[in-house]
Amino acid sequence: MTELKFVFGDPDICSGCMVCVNVCSMFYSKVIGPTRSRARVVRLEPALDFPLFCRNCEDAPCIDACPESALTRTSKGIVIVNNRKCNGTGACVEACPYNAIHIHPDTGKAIKCIQCGQCVDRCPADAIFTTTTVDLAERDKDGRMMALHEKHKDELYPREAKN
Amino acid sequence: MFGVGGEILWVDMTKGKIEKVPIDDDLVSKYLLGAGYLSKILYDMIPAGTDPLGEKNVLGIATGLLTGSMFPQASRHVVAALSPLTDVWGESHAAGFFGAELKFAGYDAIMFTGASSDPLYLNIEDSKVELLDASHLWGKDVFETDDILRKDHDRTFRTLSIGQAGENLVRFSAIMNDRDRASARSGLGAVMGSKKIKAVSVKGTGKLDVADPKNYLKHMDIFYERMMANPFTPGRVKFGTTSLVEMMQHIGRLPSYNMKQGVFDGYEKISGDAINEKYLVKARADYSCLQRCGRYTAVRTGPYAFEGGAPEFETQSSMGSRCGNDNLESVLFGHHLANQYGMDTISLGGTISWAMEAWDEGLLTAEDTGGIDLSWGNAETIIKLTKMIALREGFGDVLADGSAAAAERIGRGTEKFVMTVKKQEIAGQEPRAQKSMGLAAVTAARGADHLYAFPVLDEAGFDKEIKERFGEQYLPEMADRLSPKYKGIMVKECEDFMVMVESVGLCKYGTQIPPEFYYDDVALTLKIHNGLDLTGAQLQEIGERIVNLNRLFNARFGVTRKDDCLPDRLTKEKAPLGPSAGEVVELDMMLTEYYDVRGWDQETGLPLKETLKRLGLDN
Ligand code: SF4
Ligand code: SF4
Ligand code: SF4
Repeated sequence: MTELKFVFGDPDICSGCMVCVNVCSMFYSKVIGPTRSRARVVRLEPALDFPLFCRNCEDAPCIDACPESALTRTSKGIVIVNNRKCNGTGACVEACPYNAIHIHPDTGKAIKCIQCGQCVDRCPADAIFTTTTVDLAERDKDGRMMALHEKHKDELYPREAKN
Repeated sequence: MFGVGGEILWVDMTKGKIEKVPIDDDLVSKYLLGAGYLSKILYDMIPAGTDPLGEKNVLGIATGLLTGSMFPQASRHVVAALSPLTDVWGESHAAGFFGAELKFAGYDAIMFTGASSDPLYLNIEDSKVELLDASHLWGKDVFETDDILRKDHDRTFRTLSIGQAGENLVRFSAIMNDRDRASARSGLGAVMGSKKIKAVSVKGTGKLDVADPKNYLKHMDIFYERMMANPFTPGRVKFGTTSLVEMMQHIGRLPSYNMKQGVFDGYEKISGDAINEKYLVKARADYSCLQRCGRYTAVRTGPYAFEGGAPEFETQSSMGSRCGNDNLESVLFGHHLANQYGMDTISLGGTISWAMEAWDEGLLTAEDTGGIDLSWGNAETIIKLTKMIALREGFGDVLADGSAAAAERIGRGTEKFVMTVKKQEIAGQEPRAQKSMGLAAVTAARGADHLYAFPVLDEAGFDKEIKERFGEQYLPEMADRLSPKYKGIMVKECEDFMVMVESVGLCKYGTQIPPEFYYDDVALTLKIHNGLDLTGAQLQEIGERIVNLNRLFNARFGVTRKDDCLPDRLTKEKAPLGPSAGEVVELDMMLTEYYDVRGWDQETGLPLKETLKRLGLDN
């Protein structure tokens, strides 16, 4: 199968500026607002800033969870939302282990990162990149980035996310 | 209007009443938002004779028109009130995420009137705004307060608070936000403390609609590219402001030993390089910030172990060279402590260095200090006093009112060593080595201050920008830091620009140093973000209007030309050492030129009638 791509970031490099968050909400929703963005940035002490995106899971629990079959994977391996089918029930939000899919407050439809790279191009710190599992293992040889994500998962992916 | 929250929260602390009032478009057209808007509101509300720590004082927290926008460094908010340190106009600014979050909640400003008898905090969750009991927070430091509030509400909340220093009415206490960002100058933490406001916590899930969504990103891309391509940006990322120590040492502008001199033998030990070598963990940014001047550092072992946001140049100078202290770990830790207790490191270091010089001169003794040794460079003493000041313990209680008040209390000739303007400690720019800074310190509305004008164009070879902004006829003198010539013209221009920048919520980095963005860039952004049609010339006039209104505010509290003065040391004693040896600040001549271009009376230093009329301030 095609290698699944996703955007990933280095919490030791990310400055926390939220440019990626704003680029995404402006690009897709034509407004500025973290609740309208497909990217999230979470600042944790000590000195960590996590840029967070859809991980493009192989088993994609969001797809299975949707009762309307509004979520599908394209031939390029991207999980997309069919706005005509999505009715905003939020089963995908519940199912996503990475808190990476949300209901857009204005449209009432689910939004998630589709790996378009708009934010990646504009990150002033070069902290984010489009990658695959294999590529990430290569970039993160000593497992530092992954370990940080793993260590803080309870704070990064709260089950009942309020944001 | 686009791109704003839309409402102002009026919070009556006496009655516990909260009111939401739409922002006044007419006021915005004359004063923008942020610093300008607060200047007008407070001018209308605070009469002569007001006690800065009484319930009649009004404390404003305001975002700018572009705060929360995607413009580079659009992260800022401003706080203002009558200052308990200077008894004149008090204003201070900070970056962070608080301002943008407030906008996402639907508000552009918060105005606190009255005073509560019990500690309260203001909690904002979009349209739900309430004053809540803060008795469990009172006595807690800034970090603890942030921890508790974000645990009680949600991790995604942003907080602004005072530490123990503000509670104890330390006259140079800060209002802190996002843990380590400080609105430090003017002692406005004490105003917050006097009203018994411990904190503001805010969560906004809203959005900012912009005026030109179609072209917005296209314009921002150009601004981003310019900012990233600016030759200053890589250095800012690498050092923040910390490498200014080296730069200032080389021009003799590094205040040392209570501003006796502008060079410090131990400068390398407290330099940006020294910090990067051993202590820097990470460069951090605030909202929309491409320059990442924020430092996150750690001292891993020893008595000064900590980790957190620290420091910046002002602290390296105030708690380092100014106190003759080359113990870097103590400087970093001192900055951290000042954040934790919520204090201005400039006035803190300035006050301690005053005491150190008085001690050195034998005018202060162990009897005054309760046995504390105040020898130059005693790092242990600096740390000890930082705590004692915040908690107003022992000799710390004397210092907690600032060096001018402390000298008045002690007397014995210690007044001579007070390095203040209008009772606020002069910041880290030894003005004998850069004349414009001397003038800027006296004309700044909030008392000694480098940022009101931030006249850095003569600092590092900005001849091209000087030519663009002023014209060729002022070169080379205007670009020469040791020449007093044309500095009145330069400081006036810089003030107008900088108060405008503080009114739109941008950072002085990117607008003034490096001078990448100017009036026209702001005008364009106000158009695409807010939908406002203002020209660069109109923005300049607004800046001028704000400066004049600040001056009228101060006139109400008795300020005239006689108060626009520097300590004798800087105008009469020649700089003894270093690259600027032999220099004094030729203040009078610069001030005369300044009043002249301002349209202010030479004798009183107050705006002339025709000036007020021209700016629409004559009613
Ligand atoms: S734009 Fe880059 S540095 Fe800024 S928050 Fe996003 S990932 Fe971090
Ligand atoms: S939205 Fe969540 S569940 Fe779906 S692919 Fe992305 S990370 Fe996985
Ligand atoms: S890659 Fe595209 S869709 Fe994903 S967060 Fe960035 S801008 Fe949004």
